[in-house]
Amino acid sequence: MTLLKVDQLSKQFKQHQAVKKISFSIEEGRCVALLGPNGAGKTTTIHMLTGLLRPTSGDIQLYHQGRQVADRRPHLGYLPQMPVFYSWMTGREFVQYAGQLAGLSRQEAERCTEEWFEIVGIQDAAKRRIGGYSGGMKQRLGLAQALIHRPKLLILDEPVSALDPIGRRDVLRILERIRQETTILFSTHILHDAEEICDDIILIEQGEIAVQGSLEHIRQSHSEPMIMIETLNEAQAKALEIAIRNNPYVNHVASEHQTLRVTVSNLEEAERGIMTEAVQHHVFIRKLEAGHSTLEDLFMKVVRA
Amino acid sequence: MRQFGLFYRKEMLEMARSYKWIWVPMVFLLLGVMQPVTTYYMPEILKHAGNMPAGTIITMPTPTSGEVLAQTLNQFGTIGVLVLVLSMMGIVSGERQSGVTSLIFTKPVSFIAYMTAKWASILTLTVAAFACGYAGACYYTIQLIGSLDVGTVIQAGLMYMLWFVFVISVLLLISAWLPNSAGVAFTTMAFIMLLSFGTSLLSRYLSWSPSRLSTIASEILTKVETLSSVGPVLWISLCSVLICVMLAVYRMQSQESISAKA
Repeated sequence: MTLLKVDQLSKQFKQHQAVKKISFSIEEGRCVALLGPNGAGKTTTIHMLTGLLRPTSGDIQLYHQGRQVADRRPHLGYLPQMPVFYSWMTGREFVQYAGQLAGLSRQEAERCTEEWFEIVGIQDAAKRRIGGYSGGMKQRLGLAQALIHRPKLLILDEPVSALDPIGRRDVLRILERIRQETTILFSTHILHDAEEICDDIILIEQGEIAVQGSLEHIRQSHSEPMIMIETLNEAQAKALEIAIRNNPYVNHVASEHQTLRVTVSNLEEAERGIMTEAVQHHVFIRKLEAGHSTLEDLFMKVVRA
Repeated sequence: MRQFGLFYRKEMLEMARSYKWIWVPMVFLLLGVMQPVTTYYMPEILKHAGNMPAGTIITMPTPTSGEVLAQTLNQFGTIGVLVLVLSMMGIVSGERQSGVTSLIFTKPVSFIAYMTAKWASILTLTVAAFACGYAGACYYTIQLIGSLDVGTVIQAGLMYMLWFVFVISVLLLISAWLPNSAGVAFTTMAFIMLLSFGTSLLSRYLSWSPSRLSTIASEILTKVETLSSVGPVLWISLCSVLICVMLAVYRMQSQESISAKA
């Protein structure tokens, strides 16, 4: 069942068009990653979804029990990239306040606050002032306040980008747990995070959707035969790249120091061709691997194109 | 209504935790007490100033108690307004600047409740601080200078209070309009000063201006025949307060981006 439908959404800042007519929809129960490099328009899109920013044009529809809702906010939970709280409040006070603002009664808010503190693992800091919280604790507190009213859709803006590896692992673990009951949309520029917990991916670049679909589908449909060659040094890699670039079996060459990643049309033919070229140009091959392109290759291809 | 209560309680708590509930009334109390005390001891103070040639005779007319209280109101009008503006300048803009609004306004909250609760909370603090200072001034005036007529004092106090209500409503509006707190303080002070200055300069044409309220309050206390009719000033002031609050709500609602950092 469709939960969120975005149609031709655009945002124009004075000179700069941050988001260009993007359309997508999110199915209930899925975990969706909004993927893209910094400055692609992820945060702008999220701000429009949450109602913090008015779209220039386009339409956002949220469905609850099959019917479109007028005000999306009761059904949304939102955690910004750098959540800011009232530093003079204690963690518990803030989450209770957020819960009551979202429409919970005082008793409900108190009860849910304790539950969520337990889940995100900051119950020990509950009665301390937020001013003294660390970045990781603020992120967890942000999750608690976003989830207190049991939203249908949880929207997270770069939830793990600013955390250390342990904090990152913890937040991903919490998300893994929440996704059982809530639909999640989160933005990230780290492909690895998306691969870890997501069902669907929306890859945006310069305000436009480059690729979207389920992770499985994208893996299969965008996977191309690829050969990875490691040469002795950068000069040799360069020489080999120039030699093979215009051959018919080569689709795309990406070089990084002494390594070449060559997307090809036919593995066997390409491998034979590359070997011949290497011998001709006296290139020493340290390592040659024939396989298929990964999601990261796709990401790099889209972003660099 | 429920959200109004939540927001209002939060503002009260914030003011308490940031000690505004202590220092703002303290400043007003100090201002209020200073005026009658210095007036009373003025001859002594001058005598001890020490740089008078021998044989100087200073005769000063003893001011009436009403005059002393009117002078106190003048103090409130300058330093008092400054203190109010400085302590409340970030009431809306500060929250937008910090980014906490992006957590608040993604919850299903009403802009009207949010803004009116803010207005009501500043109003509460202002009334309390003014009452403190004014009561202090009255007490020392009665002790040191002479008795006061209760009816006159209350009437003048209410008039002056309305002027403060006008000031904080302007402050709320400007705080909703401008993104940074220093700009809010400057613009509000500049506006209030220009209004007061303009009103006294063009008193014939601006006899309805809200800043006449402070003059009227002084006139009531000093029993001077009042220049302007009180009615229009009252109405204009009340309407401006209402318009300021409504515009502030409208401004928040119609903003393209709620958080200033978007």
